[in-house]
Amino acid sequence: MENNKNNSYDASQIEVLEGLEAVRKRPGMYIGSTDVRGLHHLVYELVDNSIDEAMQGFCDTIHVTINPDGTLTVTDNGRGIPTDMHPKEHRPAVEVCMTVLHAGGKFGGGGYKVSGGLHGVGMSVVNALASWLEVTVRQRGKVFFQRYEIGKPCFDLKVIGESEETGTSITFMPSPDIFETLDFDFNTLKTRLREMAFLNSGVHIILQDKREGREAKRDFHYEGGVSHFVEYLNRSKTPLTEKPIHIVARKDDTEVEVALQYTDGYNEAVYAFTNNIANPEGGTHVAGFRSAITRCINNYARAHGMLKEKDENLQGDDVREGLTAIISVRLPDPQFEGQTKAKLGTSSVRTVVDNMVSDRLSTYMEENPQDARLMVGKCISASQAREAARKAREQTRRKSALESAALPGKLSDCSEKDPSLCEIYLVEGDSAGGSAKMGRDRRFQAILPLRGKILNVEKTRLDRALGNEEIRSMITAFGCGAHEQCDLSKLRYHRIVCMTDADVDGSHIRILLLTFFYRFMRPLVEQGHVYIAQPPLYKVAKKGRDTYCYSDEELAAVLDEVGREGANVQRYKGLGEMNAEQLWETTMNPETRIMLRVSMQDAIAADEIFSTLMGDAVDPRREFIEENAKLVANLDV
Amino acid sequence: MQYNLDKQTIKPINLEDEMKKSFISYAMATIISRALPDVRDGLKPVHRRILYSMHELGVTPDKPYRKSVRVVGDVLGKYHPHGDSAVYDAMVRMAQPFSLRYMLIDGHGNFGSVDGDGAAAMRYTEARMSPIALEMLRDIDKNTVDMGPNFDETTMQPLVLPARFPALLVNGSNGIAVGMATNIPPHNMREVVDGVLAQMDNPDITVEELMSIIPGPDFPTGAMVMGRAGISQAYRTGKGRIIMRAKTSIEELPHNKHRIIVTEIPYQVNKSTLVKKIADLVQQKRVEGIDELRDESGRDGMRIVIGCKQDVNPEVVLNTLY
Repeated sequence: MENNKNNSYDASQIEVLEGLEAVRKRPGMYIGSTDVRGLHHLVYELVDNSIDEAMQGFCDTIHVTINPDGTLTVTDNGRGIPTDMHPKEHRPAVEVCMTVLHAGGKFGGGGYKVSGGLHGVGMSVVNALASWLEVTVRQRGKVFFQRYEIGKPCFDLKVIGESEETGTSITFMPSPDIFETLDFDFNTLKTRLREMAFLNSGVHIILQDKREGREAKRDFHYEGGVSHFVEYLNRSKTPLTEKPIHIVARKDDTEVEVALQYTDGYNEAVYAFTNNIANPEGGTHVAGFRSAITRCINNYARAHGMLKEKDENLQGDDVREGLTAIISVRLPDPQFEGQTKAKLGTSSVRTVVDNMVSDRLSTYMEENPQDARLMVGKCISASQAREAARKAREQTRRKSALESAALPGKLSDCSEKDPSLCEIYLVEGDSAGGSAKMGRDRRFQAILPLRGKILNVEKTRLDRALGNEEIRSMITAFGCGAHEQCDLSKLRYHRIVCMTDADVDGSHIRILLLTFFYRFMRPLVEQGHVYIAQPPLYKVAKKGRDTYCYSDEELAAVLDEVGREGANVQRYKGLGEMNAEQLWETTMNPETRIMLRVSMQDAIAADEIFSTLMGDAVDPRREFIEENAKLVANLDV
Repeated sequence: MQYNLDKQTIKPINLEDEMKKSFISYAMATIISRALPDVRDGLKPVHRRILYSMHELGVTPDKPYRKSVRVVGDVLGKYHPHGDSAVYDAMVRMAQPFSLRYMLIDGHGNFGSVDGDGAAAMRYTEARMSPIALEMLRDIDKNTVDMGPNFDETTMQPLVLPARFPALLVNGSNGIAVGMATNIPPHNMREVVDGVLAQMDNPDITVEELMSIIPGPDFPTGAMVMGRAGISQAYRTGKGRIIMRAKTSIEELPHNKHRIIVTEIPYQVNKSTLVKKIADLVQQKRVEGIDELRDESGRDGMRIVIGCKQDVNPEVVLNTLY
């Protein structure tokens, strides 16, 4: 407190950040983060602008190119950013868009009817966070060009040529002072751009990587729109009906496009978009869609005697089992809840989607009784399974009430009761569980040994999965419940650590566990509660000094350092090979350990990878293996 | 808590990337070095290691039997860092006359039966190499095959056995890996060797010509193959369905009663499950006309008796059973 006395806090301490300076100071507010995600966000901002142009019908081709020098170019053939003088700013409009926050054509001034951009910050933010940026606009028969460095124009907009075409091309180099990484990832861009191409049928999006040794090119163009999107999502699943049901409707200013298809899987995959922006938390359009589909299925089942009078209505969960759907709405001035546009809040959308979908879907079902029967049959069997699962759950509850202690017997719990401090280690096998138990700090580290390989929940029905002992003991140990009942506030450990052997079976158990978390307790993954422990791969012993190595490179480095002669290298195959003390030192001690925190970026990509790798269909899996066989990291028995 | 949690290293990792990385390494390991046999010697790594271990221990057919547990222990300690039961199960299979067309291990004691009974525990049973296993290993000490280090780099193991006969085709193999699987039926040694010779004389030999030498699989349990189209398709394309049927005869009893005697059942069919299935069918009235069902198998060989009711045509019953 002594020191602080000299620090007076008066008006001189209050800073006002002018213009783009604010963006550079606090990039997180504009692009979320400065890691890989934020970096790609810059690209999306630019592509979103081009897509907005496409939604008005002025643009049909968008090129996204990663250049050999690590810069990135986005080119479209739209109308081009206006180059004439802005009446109030007395500068060309393009310069205004680039340098002034909240400048844009999307505030209802008639330039755009519907758009993904709302705040007019996209382009200026990209400019602010780039070490340099060049914009080329082809318009009115001329080619205009301007270059900016760290957000400031180097010279006035000048004409450098003539052209019959129109369009905008922006090249930028992300600023190394801001971003943790400058490496654009082709696959990340690919996933997102493909999504955009699905949502905007007819638009060509061409993604190209021109960096040396990484050359790649993909061309996305889907006339079928969201219906293609659903087919694409279902390509590693077995659909019940041949074609997805495709609904396009418009009411007043709101455009609704929905495609849905049932598969024989057990998971729901419904993704919603508003003006091309993904809404991972859903919102009014999803609510409308859900109530429509539940009502339609129930009405049909009643009318055709598939549900008897005494049967209960099918519930929302039942009609959504195995459902893959895309809901895309377009409307002027959408209202979102939260800054990240994760949830749509415009309440009128609910009724519009509800009416449109129930109208078209019930017509479709009447016209295609065969498909309708398959769909309803699937929902009814889902409802029966849910009933069975509920009974199974109740049984476990009743049993545990009798046993007084609700926790599984194999769990070695910790004494700390504050969940935010506690961690639980899921350990492969009882032999490793023993080491872990002896090596842990019992105050805050709990151990749950799992026997052998756990069930692949992707291929199992809910009621069977819940009947499995390992699954049940994990659910009770975590305390947060599964599926809809998953409630993170009841989570007993804020760090869930998978600690498996450093061999291929360990990898397998790890993916089985991740599948389980993702399918049963997705919030755990989304909130970053899942970690992967990194036990050392090698121990190098020389002259009484032990060094642990966590990778092959590290091993080589250590061997070079201490000299290969007389060094004794031990390769750890299983956790059981380590003494309790070693395990603590290398893997569990919070001051020395290395852990990987699992994070999720893209729900669609994640869902796809799980159904490809863990699902029923074999062919996509074999393709995946054939494509990736070269990349194998460690191959031994 | 006195730990400084900031000192730990936490690296972020993307869910999809981790899934992809772990999955591919597991899948490739399973495909390459666990579940699928090598085309050159027809063996999966575990089998190869057992045979090589026995070779090193010197338990040849002219020596007395050695306790199975000693062999298993040797394999585990030297070459196969996995569970003991996996090794013992693999070893038992190589000693079962109904699993392998030509047994590679000569077992002494209870090595299981077609009824699906398991072998006795490894502390009871004894084993040594069979004469044909010697052919698998012949000349291995003359630097004929590549050797590689074992898991802890303390000793060397063969990457493949010399295999003086086409073991993959002769003994067949099946395995389920990730994303791919294999199922190869066993064949008659003489036929396959003749086939190989024919192919050596005429490298462009057609499938038809080869099939005149090797007409089809030869199963250790006998029984009949229904139709040759499946065999031909399998040989031609690598994929084909071969349907098998048990070998039966019909005995006539007084009072116009008959009974069906099953003497051979298809390869890899579990006899007691088969009998139980027939019994279930009778109880559910899916098959009519059977009044008794007994498994009379014993030391004289297999004999399942299906008794038919009076005045029932046994052929009809048999057909419904198929």
